[in-house]
Amino acid sequence: MRRTFLISRQEFIKYVTRRGFFISILMFPLWIALIVLVPQWTSTAPQRIFTIVDRAGGYREAILDALAREDDRRELIALENYAAANADAERLRRASPRLVEILDSPESEGSLKSFRALGGWRAALSEVSPWLKPGTKPFQPPEPRFVFVAPPARLERAQNFDVSVRPFLEGGRFYAAILIPRDFGSGARQTAQYYVRDQPDRDLRAFVTDALSDALHRNVLRRLSPNPADTEALAATAELESHVPTRAGGQSGRNETFDAFVPIALALILFIVSVMNASVLLQGVVEEKSSRMIEVLLSCATPREITSGKLIGIIAVALVTITIWAMVLFALMAMAEASTVSLVFGAMRSLATVETLPLLLLYFFCGLLIYGSIFLAIGSMANSLADAQALLGPAMLILMLPNVMISGIMRDPNGELASLISWVPFYTPFFMMLRIASHPPLLQLWGTTLLTVATTVFLIWWTGRVFANHVLTTERPPSLTSLVARRARTFTRRQQ
Amino acid sequence: MTDTVLELSNVTKRFGAFTAVDHLSFSLSRGRILGFLGPNGAGKTTTLRMMLGILPPDEGTMSILGQDISMVRERIGYLPEERGLYKRMRADAAIAYIATLKGMKRTDALARARQLLASFGLEEWARVRIEGLSKGMAQKVQLLAAVAHDPEFVILDEPFSGLDPVNQSEIEVFIRQQAAAGKTILFSTHTMQHAERLCDGIVVIAKGRKLFDGTLDGARALFPRRARVGAAEDLSFLRNVPGVLGAMPPCNGQPNWTLEMSEGSDGRAVLAACFDKGVPLTHFDLAPPSLHDIFVSLVEKAA
Repeated sequence: MRRTFLISRQEFIKYVTRRGFFISILMFPLWIALIVLVPQWTSTAPQRIFTIVDRAGGYREAILDALAREDDRRELIALENYAAANADAERLRRASPRLVEILDSPESEGSLKSFRALGGWRAALSEVSPWLKPGTKPFQPPEPRFVFVAPPARLERAQNFDVSVRPFLEGGRFYAAILIPRDFGSGARQTAQYYVRDQPDRDLRAFVTDALSDALHRNVLRRLSPNPADTEALAATAELESHVPTRAGGQSGRNETFDAFVPIALALILFIVSVMNASVLLQGVVEEKSSRMIEVLLSCATPREITSGKLIGIIAVALVTITIWAMVLFALMAMAEASTVSLVFGAMRSLATVETLPLLLLYFFCGLLIYGSIFLAIGSMANSLADAQALLGPAMLILMLPNVMISGIMRDPNGELASLISWVPFYTPFFMMLRIASHPPLLQLWGTTLLTVATTVFLIWWTGRVFANHVLTTERPPSLTSLVARRARTFTRRQQ
Repeated sequence: MTDTVLELSNVTKRFGAFTAVDHLSFSLSRGRILGFLGPNGAGKTTTLRMMLGILPPDEGTMSILGQDISMVRERIGYLPEERGLYKRMRADAAIAYIATLKGMKRTDALARARQLLASFGLEEWARVRIEGLSKGMAQKVQLLAAVAHDPEFVILDEPFSGLDPVNQSEIEVFIRQQAAAGKTILFSTHTMQHAERLCDGIVVIAKGRKLFDGTLDGARALFPRRARVGAAEDLSFLRNVPGVLGAMPPCNGQPNWTLEMSEGSDGRAVLAACFDKGVPLTHFDLAPPSLHDIFVSLVEKAA
């Protein structure tokens, strides 16, 4: 046991003091940050200026009305983020309960209406301002994403619109021009023209399409019922508001997106950490073989002590890796949007309950040990990194299978595919992490868990044997046929 | 305390159809230095690995310090043929790591490592990574790692390979010091001069089989003494002189005739025969066979 501990300690120090460890440990949060931030950067730029020539009449106003609503919606979301980050939430709730209700669900149509009725961002900000923390920077409403400019008279009258609009687009006076023909909305004719300088901006195009569709629907509804209230009611979209009641009777701060995201994130982290650290383990064994350090170790400890020490060492490295990743990711989340941290914590609390936390930890350690054992066995059979790569290729294809199944499993966590694949011991830790929040049947839960634990114990034992038999050989790694033949010979000898 | 440190009895190791060690038996008494000699591929390293418990024998038995290797691992020191150290480890930490695996406390091991490094004049290199040391220095660090935990039995696999003569002398002195301190030492080599100078006994193997097991004098007694006689004339007449078993003319850069002498003969008859024939001699010496000669003869016979 002492030797196992000493070897694990040495393994841990060896890996965490490498430059590559710090680089890889920082690369993952950076990668995640880029995945999150790049779409945000791309969504902030650029502002699109457009014009509308409305020959049918009434549609320009409908688009401008939708534009005003879109601007208000973006201002409401920005104000909600600003208040969440800078205002004293409790005092604001007591002083302006109606405003807080609006800010609690900024995406809903009802909140938007109330926000507009309140007087927009200026009026809402005046209610938030008394409760802002000292030193808070002033609120900056977002720049409008789309800006309308009145069409030049020459364009309004143009007979040949295609030719007339071109100088304006090329001269940069506006980015896009929308021509609504005289017969738009009458009968089957529902096609407007969208003129653009270069590649069409899909957001502007989608926005104009939605606004025109909405206007067409309202026109039809108005013809069916002259009462504006009926029109509003018929044009309304149903909304589902999520509520997760707590045992205390209140509302938890949970969010469905985060509840679904956290198990996937945990399973992916398990996979990434396992593969990353197990690869380092493999590389370490190949290096030890080539430098003959392994021979010195074998003169000091048994193969099983060495393999156990290496696996424990790699678990310690994995725990450090995850801790640092969590710290960096939470810091990045807190910097980007403070409310996200509490939502992620809420989702983690709901996932890792008293009943499930021990299982989650068990899956995590079993996953690490299974992957680590496989990689360690491959490392002890390989004479060089090239040999190891050749063996690693097929192993990786098998081990990576869960990644391509995530979306399928998450759509139906207790479906046939999920139930079946969870019984494959190599994948159980990964899939049960994904499924545990969906309350899989007890037989599956405990059956697969026992199978995984048994597989883990077997693999650790098997790795010790493979290590003892192969780590000092300089032959080429055994082929699958030779392994099977060897097993068969041993079996026959035992039978005799 | 048992007086036999190492005992091998009919030990055999096979790798598939290839027999690396074939029914090998020998023993080693406490406090002695044994040279384990054999040409490349003779099975020396495989035997050493079996002694260390790294490889299990397929047949035969083996005891070290009177017990199974698994019970006495911490009482053995081992220097592998190809140097095994973590390149990024510092010299003192590398020695201390092996010593802690052999049972020492970390603080004691580190202190002992520094003391040993200082005794080799390497105190300034104690905090230098192995990759920053010269080959000779790394070799010394490896040797110190093998003995830092004060083992009773030290196994050295080719301790002199790749070293310059100065470093070889230093290692030789170190091995003598260890033996003087009461340690039992077994080292494998195919460089006969070191074995000749250091060993109390030798075991010679080739193709996995034992060819000789005994003292150096015992080995010499097996082979005739050789006289080297230098002269411008043909000395083939010396074959007929009593006590001369054979005569080989100069060859392969050897300028003298080589005579194989029977046991007890002292060369006076050879000198008398040359005098009677009026042959002027340019060289005459009579010496026991060198270990090199013995080794070559044994291995050639086995081939």
